[in-house]
Amino acid sequence: MPFTRRAFVRTLGIGGASLLAARREAWAGLGEGPGAAAAPRPLLLHNNENPLGPGQAALDALRAVMGAGAPAGRYVFGRVDELHAAIAERFGARPENVVTGCGSTQILRAAVQMLTSPTRPLVAGELTYEECAGYAELIGTPVRAIPLDAALKLDLNAMADAAKGAGVVFLNNPNNPTANLHSGDAVGAFVDRVLTASPDTTVLIDEAYHDYVTDPSYRSQVPAALKNPRVIVARTFSKAHGMAGMRVGYALGHPDTIAKLEAWESANALNVAGIVVAIASIRDQARLEAERDRNTRARQFTLDWLAKAGFTATASQTNFVFANIKRPCKDFRDACRAQGVIVARDFPPFEKSHVRISIGTLEEMKQAADVFGKILGVKAKAA
Amino acid sequence: MELSRRSFLDAFGVREAASLSAAFVAARGREAAVAEAAAVEAAGDPAEIRISSNENPLGPGPAAMEAFTRAFQDAGRYPTNARPSMGDLREAIARRLSVRAENVALGAGSWELLRSAVRLYTSSSRHLVTASPSFESPEQMAQQLGIPVRRVPVDKEGRLDLEGMARAARWAGLVFFCNPNNPTGGVHSARAVAEFVGRVRRESPETAILIDEAYHDYVTDPGYATSLPLALEHRDVFITRTLSKAYGMAGLRVGYAVGQARTIEAFNRWAITFNQNSLAVAAAVASLGDPAHIDAERARNAEVRRFTTAFFQDRGLRVLPSETNFVLVEIGRPAKDFREACAKQKVMVGRDFPPLEKTHARVSLGTMDEMKRATQVFGAVLGK
Repeated sequence: MPFTRRAFVRTLGIGGASLLAARREAWAGLGEGPGAAAAPRPLLLHNNENPLGPGQAALDALRAVMGAGAPAGRYVFGRVDELHAAIAERFGARPENVVTGCGSTQILRAAVQMLTSPTRPLVAGELTYEECAGYAELIGTPVRAIPLDAALKLDLNAMADAAKGAGVVFLNNPNNPTANLHSGDAVGAFVDRVLTASPDTTVLIDEAYHDYVTDPSYRSQVPAALKNPRVIVARTFSKAHGMAGMRVGYALGHPDTIAKLEAWESANALNVAGIVVAIASIRDQARLEAERDRNTRARQFTLDWLAKAGFTATASQTNFVFANIKRPCKDFRDACRAQGVIVARDFPPFEKSHVRISIGTLEEMKQAADVFGKILGVKAKAA
Repeated sequence: MELSRRSFLDAFGVREAASLSAAFVAARGREAAVAEAAAVEAAGDPAEIRISSNENPLGPGPAAMEAFTRAFQDAGRYPTNARPSMGDLREAIARRLSVRAENVALGAGSWELLRSAVRLYTSSSRHLVTASPSFESPEQMAQQLGIPVRRVPVDKEGRLDLEGMARAARWAGLVFFCNPNNPTGGVHSARAVAEFVGRVRRESPETAILIDEAYHDYVTDPGYATSLPLALEHRDVFITRTLSKAYGMAGLRVGYAVGQARTIEAFNRWAITFNQNSLAVAAAVASLGDPAHIDAERARNAEVRRFTTAFFQDRGLRVLPSETNFVLVEIGRPAKDFREACAKQKVMVGRDFPPLEKTHARVSLGTMDEMKRATQVFGAVLGK
């Protein structure tokens, strides 16, 4: 027995057993048994998470890899290449088209860092995912915030008008927190218009909710990103892949653009468990489709309930809804919290009327609807 | 068998790890990426001994691994919602160090915090001071941002030149002070560091000082102590730590910085959004509550360090005094030649560390068994 193991055995009071066999077994318990999630907790409908977490294939992969040794103690670089290859394969692209980071947030930041400056503003919707604008503020990049249109959609015309001279135009499609999207044709035309009118501007498209979309008019802009150095598409494993806790995001683009993003070393922030699960998950398309269907049913239930109760919501293509509850979000949120349901924070300028509610399981949404009904004064019959 | 016991047994067993899948071996990665591409390509051979990146060969301790397996159920939740949460980790670190949570910033490894520090404190007119050689992350970030760098050579013993660094610190934005220093391995005493910090604060009051204690848990020199009290005493003086070394969690990406609340606040503002993964958070919280494991790891490493140091010294080669889990050896020939010759024998040692790359090689410390095999290879390669 090598010294090290003897030392451990002495220190920790275990001897003899067949350690190899035992270790293989050790990871069989991964994701089972009394874990943290087993304890009672409120319904978490505030962060647009997948309530089921990663799928079985992902779990199996993690068990196999972690059970094979102690890779948690090793730096991950060799495995990052494997992840890039798996993502590239999924899109019929090459590893040079892929950059990864600790959530897509890290890549969005790197893009803003690299492509904007005090003289090259960021253009973003007035109500959209805030990561880019928040980071722009931090580094002293001016932000041109473009109000939503009357249908609470990103105003593509106004954004294109504002793009001239900008470093980056940020387009979240579908958009968080408004849940709606623009068609593939509309976004394609928007990209063309920006690229033509403002030759130094990059269009950064965040498709975090891509896997939840069911609208047939929608189209990913990944093909445009692979061809054009001035288009970047960001994706995340935090949503439909169920890996919000594992922190893996990625972006696809032209190799020239990706190489520049790579220089910010975002893959250094990746963890081995996230990488292993992401590789398994991106190869498990059946599970993603099942997750989309599950979400679609729970989403439809929620939208139907709201409609029957007399509240309008945007046309959600995500795993959350944005609903006009005709009262301050804070009042509603506090009342929900008191009943064990957590809904999202304020989203100005709509905080006096709208709430964002993430989609849990169908069962969870039924429970939540009971709570919402009581708080909103919805008669049982109407609901 | 209980989950905890099964996980527990998994925590050791590097020897069994020798019979591993290619995927595992491929993951035995690099510390600074660039120079070791060849080594990674060579990965896949189970007989390989990777002593190139100052990793803990045993991985995380048993408490950490048990917590990790349990936390998987929350993998779909953001780390703020998972249990334990990022906030719980901050509290756990604060408790361990007897400071407040507001004194602690988390990073995706200390790498993130080193880079943030360069951004926060340097500019084109306020340079970075670093030792040469020292850990390269701050310098690389400065170069990326176009910030001037003053490199102060280490002394003959490989120790940071306190006099030279203090002089270079005038008008600097940030001094990077790696103690113990990577790749040279030595430490300065608590008193010497306190005098250095006091002097820089007097002579250049606007200069921030980052004291990187990545290898803190491996130090056995009784003259050494953490610079945490200095970090709490002075504004813009802070320490960084990582769980990538003695805690055996390089693959999980947990680091932290400690300093005054107003210093730390800036790090949190600049932090990568959700820079912790929830499995690592659980493992880290458990690990911080298991100091006996770190004591055992320090003792294990110290014995391997004595063995490895003696091996080189017995063959007339100078080893710089190390308080870490690696040794820098004056092999009297280019590190590249040595590295490539060792790699042919399936022993992977550290990258080049200019300006010492023509004469010195850095060898990380594996398990005793690994080092016994590795030293046989070193003997053959060096003709000793």
